[in-house]
Amino acid sequence: MEEKQLSEKESFELITSMINKAKGRIGETGTSYLLWGWLILVCCIVQFVSLYFFNYANSYYIWYATWIFLIFQFFYFRKQKKLITVKTYTGEINRFVWLAFFICTVLVIFISIYLKYYEIIYPLILVMYGMPTFLSGIILKFRPLIIGGVCCWVFSFFSSFVASEYQSLFIAAAVIVAWIIPGYILKQIFKKEN
Amino acid sequence: MEFKELDPILHSQLRLAVMSLLISVKEAEFTFLKEKTNATSGNLSVQISKLKEAGYIEIIKQFNNNYPQTICKITQQGIDAFENYVKALQSYMKL
Repeated sequence: MEEKQLSEKESFELITSMINKAKGRIGETGTSYLLWGWLILVCCIVQFVSLYFFNYANSYYIWYATWIFLIFQFFYFRKQKKLITVKTYTGEINRFVWLAFFICTVLVIFISIYLKYYEIIYPLILVMYGMPTFLSGIILKFRPLIIGGVCCWVFSFFSSFVASEYQSLFIAAAVIVAWIIPGYILKQIFKKEN
Repeated sequence: MEFKELDPILHSQLRLAVMSLLISVKEAEFTFLKEKTNATSGNLSVQISKLKEAGYIEIIKQFNNNYPQTICKITQQGIDAFENYVKALQSYMKL
């Protein structure tokens, strides 16, 4: 960009074009959606198979993998940070939405286990899960996440009518539509943006 | 009709482009500004220094995994100046 004397009209055009360049970005790599999506999907399938086909009572042990993954994610994202050259206000809000989801989910799981309401854990997780997915879709103006969020709520409703061993399949379906598919689309968009 | 004077700090192509980008985001790296404005590193450095001297932006230099990073952020003074500049432009355009 060369320095030249701007007319008022040119100034306006420059402001508009720069604002559009900055605000048109989604600025989301999609990596966290994909990593978590695949992890939860594998956990759901392993739990279902071990419970349904092998009648393994401690099938829920697989969920401890999420804690190990959380530590991995912490280090992974410290490395990834250098890929992101701009921080937007929407991205910042989005991060806090997911933080709130994480805190609420941990509390819901703890309360349900402590009060021994095991069969409501999965439907409640789906209710919770729909919220940040839907809100992220609204914040980023990204339709696949909005649809994913609504699907979570629909799955949550229907999962309350089935036996508990089948409920993990609803979570598996939810992560495919709410994280894995939008994750791949976001990855494509991020590649184009950068 | 009363004409407001156009702020000479902002009435420059590259500085105005940088301010327009920074007003839309929370903060941006030097590389992001360079890419969006198509400016050379030297020219961009000079212009963002001028914006910093005017108190319109804040420059944070840091290291991220051993990579040097220059992060630019608009200040409240910068937001006010930008708004006044746009109002002044509007008063000219209405003529």
